[in-house]
Amino acid sequence: MGQIPVQNPVVVLREEFDDWAVLFNPDTAKALGVNPVGVAIWQLIDSRRSIIDIVAEIKELFSEVPETVDKEASDFVDILHKDGFLGYDVDGKDERALS
Amino acid sequence: MIVEATPNIMRSPRSVDIEVTSKCNLKCLYCYYFDNPAVSYQDLPTEEWLTFFDELGRIAVMDVCLAGGEPFLRSDFKDLLEGIVNNRMRFSILSNGSFIDDDIVEFIVGTKRCNQVQVSIDGASAAAHDSCRGKGSFESAVRGIKTLQMHGVPVGVRVTIHHHNVGVLDKITNFLLDDLGLQGFSTNSAGYLGSCRKNAEDVLLTVEDRQIAMSTLLRLDEERSGRISAASGPLAEARLWRDMDEARIKNALPFPNGGHLTACGCTNHRIAVRSDGTIVPCSMLAHMNLGRINRDSLQDIWLRSPELNMLRMRRKIPLSNFEFCGGCPYIPYCTGSCPGSAFSITGQVNHPSPDACLRNFLAEGGRVS
Repeated sequence: MGQIPVQNPVVVLREEFDDWAVLFNPDTAKALGVNPVGVAIWQLIDSRRSIIDIVAEIKELFSEVPETVDKEASDFVDILHKDGFLGYDVDGKDERALS
Repeated sequence: MIVEATPNIMRSPRSVDIEVTSKCNLKCLYCYYFDNPAVSYQDLPTEEWLTFFDELGRIAVMDVCLAGGEPFLRSDFKDLLEGIVNNRMRFSILSNGSFIDDDIVEFIVGTKRCNQVQVSIDGASAAAHDSCRGKGSFESAVRGIKTLQMHGVPVGVRVTIHHHNVGVLDKITNFLLDDLGLQGFSTNSAGYLGSCRKNAEDVLLTVEDRQIAMSTLLRLDEERSGRISAASGPLAEARLWRDMDEARIKNALPFPNGGHLTACGCTNHRIAVRSDGTIVPCSMLAHMNLGRINRDSLQDIWLRSPELNMLRMRRKIPLSNFEFCGGCPYIPYCTGSCPGSAFSITGQVNHPSPDACLRNFLAEGGRVS
């Protein structure tokens, strides 16, 4: 939760109707449908905020946030990481650049 | 009439079909693209396309399909692909295969953004393929496919079925799946569009041809474990019409998209651009000028074009409104098929396509089982 996620710069956020969106990685052709909270999380990933920071902001932005939001947000960021939509900051550098 | 943006339409198209050139080295007898009086066969300079690709990137289009004419004829083709990649999109290419060589394929591989290069093959030999596409076209198409395969580029093959190759579908299937080792291939048929209108009597499938194509393709697809696909043409019709007839016999509930002019629904997720920069709903509706690239906003057209929104609203028009469909027992299961085909045959976009009419096919002696 203390890790700092970093957006993969080639990933495209396609905002669709009803505030839902698609994250699209043109390098892998993977696409992921995301709900409005997922869109907000993606937009808060700025290479400075940790996941803890992001969850805190989500709690501010949305009303009626469930108690499980910490785990759900963490799981969501893990999925994004696993599918190459983002990396984690390692000593000030994007881990994807180190591999 | 002003038609507001229909609800639940994406904010921008996911895909854009782009005819990057009007030039082609072949003059295929059934080409849907050439000989359309509504089309200006002019090409745009590199810079115009690159500016347009920047716009597509800004509105988050995911992929483009490059067609023509023959797209590989453009001397700036690598520049165009770079423009697509720089704007975070993927691409597909439709080609006759003539100009596919190691150099361009290595470049394509290097982009890591290619969904597929589709090459047209209409026969298992030069005699069959070249009869409608021109001398030497088979050899160069096969060479192009092998070059793509050698470099690991996803390669698709489209077989256009017509009067002269309908009797050799077994040979074509063996050639593509066994000799060339393709995973599968897709099929359609020559349609009454473009150059084909001039050569209709020579190349279009007769009812008997269609019957042969349908039964042969169904058999081959079963023998080959589903490796033959079709979004239109005899194989697609064979599957759909069989389902429609079964539904009629059982007096089944209407199909979810049946009974109205629903067609393929492509205008809900993609749009097209002609080689002169004219934005059109679809390559099959090349006469419908919606605007021009780099002058008009694509997103504005996508969301607010009255013509485009009227096309989307075709799905509200009941087939029972048409005298053509009067008394037809298949109405609850029919979509009216392609508006491009309907326009080419009847002169009306908002009309069912007579070419895809099951009742007509049966009345002319066709069978669905």
